[in-house]
Amino acid sequence: MSKFVIETKDLCKTYEGVVPVQAVNKVNLQIEDDEFTAIIGPSGSGKTTLLNMIGGLDRPTSGQMLVNGQNLAELSDNQLIDFRLKHIGFVFQSYNLIPVLTAKENTEFIMLLQKLPKEQRDARVEQLLEEVGLADKKDSRPSQLSGGQQQRVAVARALASKPDFVLADEPTANLDSHSAFNLLDIMARLNKEEGITFVFSTHDQRVIERARRVVTLVDGEIVSDERK
Amino acid sequence: MLVKIAWRNIWRNTTRSVVVIIAIALGLWAGVFASAFVQGMMRQKIETVIKAEMSDFQFHRPGFTDEYLAKLYMQNGEEIRSKVGTEESVIASSGRLISMGMVGSAKQNGAIKIVGIDPDDEAAVTGLNEQVLDGEYFEGVMRNPILISQATAEKFRVKLKSKLILTLQDVDGEIIAGAFRVVGIYKTENVMFDRMNVYVRQDDLRKLIKIETGLHEIAVSLNDHDLADPMATKYQVIHPDLSVQSWLDLATGMRMMVDMIDVYIYYIVGIILVALLFSILNTMLMAVLERVREIGMLMAVGMTKGKVFFMIMLETLILTMIGGPLGLLISWAFVTYYGVNGIDLGGAYDEVGFSSVIYPFLDGRSYLDVTFMVVIMAIVAAIYPAIKALNLNPVEAIRKI
Ligand SMILES: Nc1ncnc2c1ncn2[C@@H]1O[C@H](COP(=O)(O)OP(=O)(O)O)[C@@H](O)[C@H]1O
Ligand SMILES: [Mg+2]
Repeated sequence: MSKFVIETKDLCKTYEGVVPVQAVNKVNLQIEDDEFTAIIGPSGSGKTTLLNMIGGLDRPTSGQMLVNGQNLAELSDNQLIDFRLKHIGFVFQSYNLIPVLTAKENTEFIMLLQKLPKEQRDARVEQLLEEVGLADKKDSRPSQLSGGQQQRVAVARALASKPDFVLADEPTANLDSHSAFNLLDIMARLNKEEGITFVFSTHDQRVIERARRVVTLVDGEIVSDERK
Repeated sequence: MLVKIAWRNIWRNTTRSVVVIIAIALGLWAGVFASAFVQGMMRQKIETVIKAEMSDFQFHRPGFTDEYLAKLYMQNGEEIRSKVGTEESVIASSGRLISMGMVGSAKQNGAIKIVGIDPDDEAAVTGLNEQVLDGEYFEGVMRNPILISQATAEKFRVKLKSKLILTLQDVDGEIIAGAFRVVGIYKTENVMFDRMNVYVRQDDLRKLIKIETGLHEIAVSLNDHDLADPMATKYQVIHPDLSVQSWLDLATGMRMMVDMIDVYIYYIVGIILVALLFSILNTMLMAVLERVREIGMLMAVGMTKGKVFFMIMLETLILTMIGGPLGLLISWAFVTYYGVNGIDLGGAYDEVGFSSVIYPFLDGRSYLDVTFMVVIMAIVAAIYPAIKALNLNPVEAIRKI
């Protein structure tokens, strides 16, 4: 068993086209349990591509992608879906939630896919919405929530499956600074108090300051990796 | 939960869903009503053919109906008739002697089919007594009464009580003649039939053509026309030396027409359904394409392709399950109402032998058939959008975020 939750070895991704794009270039990154890591870099530097490969949404052109020691290349497409469901929580920039479901149902949904019994689901949904400060909004649909509230539901949903880590691709990009800080505070607290591993990308300078580790990408390569 | 999502997705765009439901209901209604119209029309036609002309099934000696030779009679005809009469499904039967002959009045001559009947038996099978316009049904004339049609009366310019001379061949082929007196004048819906047939008492004809016992034709009517074919087959086996035929084979072109009508109904329903299919398919496809990002997200967070497929299918199926029964209910109400009150075509089909007031009718099985076809259609319409959803690449879908 690897001591890293996430480990990439010479990870590369090239988009074929008239002009091939080397979106991620020989990335070697190790992330341990309990880390709170920001991946930063200018737009087009390869943050989304890297996170997609870490999350098993996209396959690398070359190199290895290990999650808890499991080489994702060894999994079939269907196994990968199952792996994502069990091991990885996702928060996207937007469209995280199913519009026709309430905050509570959106959070519960993942656990339903995991076939957890009702009592367990109910208890956990209550607890999670409590943690993201939305206990009173549990019956609201996404359209009745602000952008920041929606992202907090997305965090609750990502945590519902008790994943090994949570991947968040620019989770604050569509938020005003107050909501952005609020979301980051919640993530940081969950990291500190519950030991949840977060990897998130951002190019928002204010958000970067909250991270405990900052990995900087430029043109698909890691140019710096700092821990605070 | 998938059902919940599908259900709520349906009401996300109420107008669209209502349009789909109405389309399904209307399609079903159109299909059922068109089928019921054609089936009702056909049923009336069959009823006329069977009731007035053919009865449900008949016995003959093979080849008798080709030239109506007197010698081709069934020796044990009465025996067969009483045996058949014991069948539970048999309402009535009529034994006939038939002879082709010439009819002559003071003014004119012409060929005619002379049918020797027992008036009561014939009345029970064809209701001939109800078709009498003028005079009486074999009452009032003591010697050699004859019942002729209005068309024949006009052609030979004869009236009630007029004398007619029939010239025909007896069982040995000898030419003989007899004098008859017009006792009544009848008219059926079929002019061709009327021109051809005259009726006399069986015993009168029997003496003329010298057949002591036996019959040329036995016509049987049943309580269910669908039994005609099986009964004919059954008696054909019992009497291999005779020709036993149901109305489907007795009336020229009838079997073909009945078979065609079924195909015709399926064509109508088929065309309606194809139109419906494309409208549902198009609508559901739009619904899927609008939700590309959402579906991509679901696949990213761990929803399997099977579940995505099922979720999209469910939406169409739920819509069908609302629109279907609704359509059936409307159809049933329409068919029932017009089945009683009739639809007046104002004589558009008189010439081809169909009645001018149509009473739509649809049997339970056809309702089931149409419903089944609609459900199959809905599933087919659902599959394509669902497959489209499956082919989404979550990464691509999410990138659009
Ligand atoms: N599907 C794709 N096809 C071709 N090029 C792509 C595709 N996705 C991303 N790229 C390119 O790869 C590079 C990295 O993109 P991305 O990972 O989205 O960066 P970031 O998230 O840091 O903005 C960019 O140059 C982008 O244009
Ligand atoms: Mg990006």
